[in-house]
Amino acid sequence: MSTEGAAMRLVGVGKRYVKYEDAPMLVTRLAGLRTRTRRSSLWAIRNVDFELQRGDVLGVIGRNGSGKSTLLRMLAGVTAPTEGTVMVRGRVAPLISVGVGFHPELTGRENVYVNGTILGLSRQEVDRRFDEVVDFAEIPAFIDTPVKFYSSGMFVRLGFAVAVLAEPDVLLVDEVLAVGDIAFQLKCYDRMQQIRDRGTTIVVVSHNLNAVRLLCPRVMVVHDGAVRFDGAAEEALALYHDLLGPQPDEAATIDEERAAEVEEFLLLGADGSDSSTFSSGEEVRIRLSVRFLEPVNGVVFGISLVSEEGVPVYSDSTNWEGTGTFSTGQRAVFEAGFRLSVPTGSYTVGVGLRRADRPVSLARTPRPRMIYVAGRHTVNGAADLGARFRVADHAGPDEAV
Amino acid sequence: MSGAFFELSGETGRLRLLLADTWKSRSLLWMLARKDFFVRYRRASLGVFWAAGLPLLQLIVLAVVFSRVVRIHSQVNYVTLVFAGLVPWTFFSTALASASTAIVDGADLSTKVYFPRAVLPLVSVGSAAYGLGINVVLLVAVAAFEGVPIRASFLLLVPAAALVGLLTAAFALVLSALHVYFRDVRYVVQAAMAVWFYATPVFYPFRLAQSHGLAGLLSVNPMAGVVQVFRAAVTGTDGALGLPLWWTGGWIAALFLAAALLYRRYDRVFVDLL
Repeated sequence: MSTEGAAMRLVGVGKRYVKYEDAPMLVTRLAGLRTRTRRSSLWAIRNVDFELQRGDVLGVIGRNGSGKSTLLRMLAGVTAPTEGTVMVRGRVAPLISVGVGFHPELTGRENVYVNGTILGLSRQEVDRRFDEVVDFAEIPAFIDTPVKFYSSGMFVRLGFAVAVLAEPDVLLVDEVLAVGDIAFQLKCYDRMQQIRDRGTTIVVVSHNLNAVRLLCPRVMVVHDGAVRFDGAAEEALALYHDLLGPQPDEAATIDEERAAEVEEFLLLGADGSDSSTFSSGEEVRIRLSVRFLEPVNGVVFGISLVSEEGVPVYSDSTNWEGTGTFSTGQRAVFEAGFRLSVPTGSYTVGVGLRRADRPVSLARTPRPRMIYVAGRHTVNGAADLGARFRVADHAGPDEAV
Repeated sequence: MSGAFFELSGETGRLRLLLADTWKSRSLLWMLARKDFFVRYRRASLGVFWAAGLPLLQLIVLAVVFSRVVRIHSQVNYVTLVFAGLVPWTFFSTALASASTAIVDGADLSTKVYFPRAVLPLVSVGSAAYGLGINVVLLVAVAAFEGVPIRASFLLLVPAAALVGLLTAAFALVLSALHVYFRDVRYVVQAAMAVWFYATPVFYPFRLAQSHGLAGLLSVNPMAGVVQVFRAAVTGTDGALGLPLWWTGGWIAALFLAAALLYRRYDRVFVDLL
């Protein structure tokens, strides 16, 4: 049944869901009138083959509805595949929305025992790890308080502490690291690295590309129910980004008129061609080709760079008096070049043209473009300010006693 | 690394695996059952007293109504007779009320962590078993209070409790599985319990039904058999079982097997519908 040491092996795995068009009624089913119920089936995910060894870390990324949650459920053993085989060796601890199974009326202590047992620990094993769990979760003062009085941070910390301290053979992490403060997140990363070094296999599913990049050397891209890519993280992230494709229109915040028409919105990289992947520090040139449909006096050209999390990283524009005067039918090219001094991640680049004299958009604002920036591995934060490190040759303290 | 591993292929599991898995999770089952039982009374200032208080209150009502108002006659102590029926019945109905929705109610947990889903309805049965334990002790006390001699036949209470436990587990498995597909099951259960209560000799002696020619109906009602075992235990009227023990035991074992087979068919794919 089991094979040479693989911690996890999936062979030709697929899962089909049957969707009932109308809720089945007990009476009609019992009366044998099941033909009235229309059904349609849908493959949530199909043809998944992969193998993980002990201590491997795999990241899984994909849009909502791509099939990654279904995959995770099968890895957790919660649902069975329609076809193929899922083999997982050892005890699986899922970390899917932490604090699952916590009963609000029970105290932290009682919940640790209940949750530990759910994760497959015996009472003695929980006893042995109890202090470490409480310590890790940083809640010694509240351990005998019902968890309904916990802050969401405490809740998450306790849930994470139980899951990692269960020392599972397989840890499944789903979107949890988005919560909790930065200090705790870092502690979690450390902890995950520790248990990985001890041989725990980890599968991380996340929208947070930074977390995935930080944790997983190997990343799988799931799209439309199929595995599109399985390999090096950077390549996977770039592909994921391409698959994200056009984003839905964002609601216009200022009035629009049709005084001009955007014909082209290009992002030119160092090689002068249009691109959507860049490397950190690279000069990007935004080029907007516009045709004017009526005479305009004074145009303000603005640009913005927004991070994946929606944080405005940078926005700028030509001065408020506006640039130039344009006549009907005239074409113009607006350009803005700047250095992408940002860490790895997905960003959106937005542009806008408005009248200098009133806050009205001149043309239908083109969709912001998604870009992916491959940054330097050491950088974290909102911007790459390009620190220069130096270790001075130090002779030692002169005032030594 | 522990030796455990799982391998999943296909959506219908084997019965033997299902039973083995569930058996392996028995410590989880009892932990959850204990939690369920005590959490239920945690916020109440009278606490676990309610687990004993409610059936006692029901006993008083039934005893007054049917011995004073309706005047049911029985050769043995009527209060003990009623309570011997009420104890298994209370267990059966409270366990099924929560067990039938257990898989749906536990969706939060069971869609995320693997453990045999059969644990969820069985936890409701286990939780009610704490109440059953309290009530069996109470039953002995009531019998002693009413002047019924405490005899060796009281030892029959142990297999009687096991029988009602197995029967309840069988119904719990089937109803919880059905409720995943048909959310009307909980109302069907409520309605069925109201009727079933009268179809079971809880407040009338078995003989009374026999004398009205309803013995055939009662013999297919497994709860009637269970109640009769409880009665034989406390009143010691050996010949008065009405239903032979082998019939009740066999019937319940068959029901349990059928329930487990039916349940097995859906165990692995419940989650898809939650």
